[in-house]
Amino acid sequence: MREFDYLEPNSIAEASEMLAAHSDNCRMMAGGTALMLALRQRMVSPTHVISLRNIRELRGITYDDRLGLRIGALTRHSELAGSTLTQKYFPMLADMASRLANPQVRNQGTIGGNLCYADPATDPPSCLMALGAQVVLSSTKGSRMLPVEDFVLDYFVTALAPDELVSEIRVPPSSFNSGYHARFLRTAAEHRPLVNLAAAMKKSGDFCEDVRLVAGASTAKPTRLLGAEDYLKGKSVTARVAAEAADIGVSEVEPISDIRGDGEFRRAMLRVVARRTIAGLFGLAEDLPKNVA
Amino acid sequence: MTTSTIGKETPQINALEKVLGKAQYSADFKMGGMLHAKVLRSPHAHARIVRIDTDAARALPGVHAVLTGEDTPTKMTGIHHKQHRILATGKVRFIGEEVVAVVAEDEETARDAIDLVRVEYEELPVVLNPDQALQKGMIEVHEGSGNLACQYNVVRGDVDAAFARAALVHEDTYETHSQYPGYLEPMATLAWRTSDGRVNVLTSTQSAFLARMRLADALELPVSKVRVIQATVGGAFGGKTAEECNSLICAWLATRAERPVRFVNSRLEDFLGARSSPPERIWLKMGVDKDGIIIAKEVNIIAECGAYEGLAGHVLQVSTVRSDNMHRYLKDVRLHSKLVYTNAPPRGALRGFGGPQASFALNSHITVMAEKLGLDPLEMMKRNAIKSGETSVHGFQIGSSGLSECLEQVSEGIRWSEKKQRPKDQGVKRRGIGFGTGIHVSGNREMGNWDGSTVIAKMGTDGRVVLLTGESEMGQGAYTMLAQCVANELSIPLSHVTVLPTDTDMSPYGHGSIASRVTILAGNAAIKAAREVRSKLFAIASEKLGVPEDELDLNNGEVFVKSAAPNRKIPFSDLARLHIYREGGEGLHVTSTYDPPTFQALATPEQYGNVAPGYSFAAQATEVAVDTETGQVELLETWVSDDCGKALNPLAVHGQSCGAAVMAIGWTLYEHLQYDDCRLLNGNFADYTMPTADSVPWIRSGIVESNEPNGPYGAKGASETAMVPGAASIANAVYDAIGVRIKTLPITPEKILAALRDKQDASHA
Repeated sequence: MREFDYLEPNSIAEASEMLAAHSDNCRMMAGGTALMLALRQRMVSPTHVISLRNIRELRGITYDDRLGLRIGALTRHSELAGSTLTQKYFPMLADMASRLANPQVRNQGTIGGNLCYADPATDPPSCLMALGAQVVLSSTKGSRMLPVEDFVLDYFVTALAPDELVSEIRVPPSSFNSGYHARFLRTAAEHRPLVNLAAAMKKSGDFCEDVRLVAGASTAKPTRLLGAEDYLKGKSVTARVAAEAADIGVSEVEPISDIRGDGEFRRAMLRVVARRTIAGLFGLAEDLPKNVA
Repeated sequence: MTTSTIGKETPQINALEKVLGKAQYSADFKMGGMLHAKVLRSPHAHARIVRIDTDAARALPGVHAVLTGEDTPTKMTGIHHKQHRILATGKVRFIGEEVVAVVAEDEETARDAIDLVRVEYEELPVVLNPDQALQKGMIEVHEGSGNLACQYNVVRGDVDAAFARAALVHEDTYETHSQYPGYLEPMATLAWRTSDGRVNVLTSTQSAFLARMRLADALELPVSKVRVIQATVGGAFGGKTAEECNSLICAWLATRAERPVRFVNSRLEDFLGARSSPPERIWLKMGVDKDGIIIAKEVNIIAECGAYEGLAGHVLQVSTVRSDNMHRYLKDVRLHSKLVYTNAPPRGALRGFGGPQASFALNSHITVMAEKLGLDPLEMMKRNAIKSGETSVHGFQIGSSGLSECLEQVSEGIRWSEKKQRPKDQGVKRRGIGFGTGIHVSGNREMGNWDGSTVIAKMGTDGRVVLLTGESEMGQGAYTMLAQCVANELSIPLSHVTVLPTDTDMSPYGHGSIASRVTILAGNAAIKAAREVRSKLFAIASEKLGVPEDELDLNNGEVFVKSAAPNRKIPFSDLARLHIYREGGEGLHVTSTYDPPTFQALATPEQYGNVAPGYSFAAQATEVAVDTETGQVELLETWVSDDCGKALNPLAVHGQSCGAAVMAIGWTLYEHLQYDDCRLLNGNFADYTMPTADSVPWIRSGIVESNEPNGPYGAKGASETAMVPGAASIANAVYDAIGVRIKTLPITPEKILAALRDKQDASHA
């Protein structure tokens, strides 16, 4: 990697000033798992690296009955997974965080860093989107809040302004009582999902009262499967209904094709994953994802 | 009483050094005034080098040298065919070929300088694959070659008559792909020239002496002007034998820079520069009698060596003939194989050395034929398994074979007799079991009619021993094995034996750690050396104690008189001192060589004869569950048994077997070098997915001890054979599970789904 100045601001305001001052060629560093690789390969050669590690406001997980879960942007995946608050209020999120990538990344990578990198081949964005999460962007000018779908704009592109950083993620209190984040690895040796599907569900017996379905990893940015959601809402879910919802869902995505998988293979796998996940949430499938309520 | 460690689970003597992070690898070394090298690699698969502009790079502060192919010695280098200079000249033949080298104050400056070099290329038509390469009028990768690097034609007996006698004849084509060696440590070298003109090279190598020979040749220096020192090797798997160019370039740069130069491959560079295994297309026709006895075999292989032949020709020889030697009744064969140049990166040695490719085809084929005959495939493999004392179709004298026992072990382990009775799964996930077998040499007489090994043993005046060897410790446990043999012979604790890394200035000549040769050859040499040390100890003790030598024995670091009262004994330390401190004395050291009674068949057109002092065998049984909706193969269980003659260190054998099985699993299911017009697309560990702990089952490794007559305490090689049967065992298990046979590696979800669709279409047709 090329030489750079390494800065350690102590507050969001200070970080924002530094970002503004070096906006032509600086990078923020949270966990550094992606940045270090890019630096070493000279894919990026910033003049300044701004480490967020000293900013205490970016840490911690809290829950408030009105506002829901507040996750500091520097929260490591393993901390998110291990938090009793996450486990209690959003078990689907905790479960996703406990399985994403590999132990090294879970112990070093952060939820904020993950969102800002906007690599499609990852799990948190679709899971957070299914839970209606909001991303809080902060700068010297103040804060603004964007839903995940408005924050992740495209392949490696976010809505972050040059002087902004992600300070926290908010997950509002939800009426969902069931859900699962399914991550599909093409082979067992992969660390990154080829396809994922986050399903947040409000169900009553076999009846689907409300649902949010978000496909990720297979698309440039996470995609809500609105047609499949509409189809499922208000239905008693049978194996056939789950299959039909999956068929509708896959027609709503534009899968990417790359060396890790052809677009049509991704679509086919999303179909399987969606059917199994929906069916699994209604106890209709054996040997399928466990229902994380 | 000193307890021998032979046959006991023994942690490696250098394990602590490694796990404590104290082991020094080539990239860890620093020298005063050391400079750093980087190379510019070709972005084209096939192109003429028109012009290289290095001015801007030279002008960069901190840059000491910017060198091109025109600056390199004119001598061509290579293994069999001498085909390239140290940097490319005239034209480039693969993407990743080294074109320009920079030496600078630090690595970042070297990288900056590389970015400033401008090379003008004139692109040439690219030879994409072997089929295209052999078409008439196709542009040649090497002028005058017709794109054919080498070929083998081996005919024994009357194969047509044998096919005519066969109850069943079956033919099919199988394809295997290339595998990256995937060692933990990318290649790295530190080289410096001393004022006497000698070039010193500290590097990661499987063979310091082959490296010296190659470097001296390329640098046009007498061998004594080159000194190769082996650093700790962070894995090699064939890739650090004699083909990689990191050490070659670094050694040369040291002669130009006049300061120490270190050259460390990044992982991305290593992917581009390393020799991965040759892909092969294997057409196989086999004839068997009604009982499944293999009586006729015809093979036609097209293998791809990429841009340079390297060791790929030797690898192909193994793919062509070796698997035949597993079969006791086979007498009639016709084998033909061609090694073809393309503009893919050069291919070369990798663990198993051509064996896994042939085994995949052969064991898939046997399983198909067993089904056609209504036979249990396991039974068919056992019926054909060669036995101890037999001579194979190619003249291998099988001193010991535990192939049948290996098959029995793995089939019992996986409970085949019970599970084969169960009804076939009909659901989404379906289970199946498959078997594979393999043979490998322990040593191979292929270089200058010598396949020996020499061990120098020196006993210090404290009665402890230092060993010098030309064979390499690359993580496989060679040094522990040597120390075990010597400690056992001299009845001293293992900790009293130190094995020094090879330094060509001090160590005895050796071919190094290739062809699974170290245990059987160096092990024998170590035993011989220890026994000579013992003779010297006895000679002095006899003189000192005034008793004949045959009344002496040794134990726990002392020589004692067998029949006499206690206290008639002398410690080794006293004897070692007496060996020096007497008139005409000298330090107690011996040099012992073991050269096996084998034949250099590779040098003859017939390729017939006993090439190795021992042959190891392995079998593997794997149970999979195939998800018929996703095409994913889950490995439920795998059992691999290695007939290593005698497990001198069962812990090491277990480690090697499991490692080999993992490597085979990776090759079969997970690893896939992807190319687009000869351009590697996934040269990194995020996209080239090697097996992880999560992706392999609990591997149960078993040991069969067939007691090799030529082996040290009966031992043979135990590092490569277990790599051989894995792919076939998985392919056969997939077939058993879902009734589709994947004949092209790797076995991917996409291929399985496509095959299932085809099968369904066929059944509806």
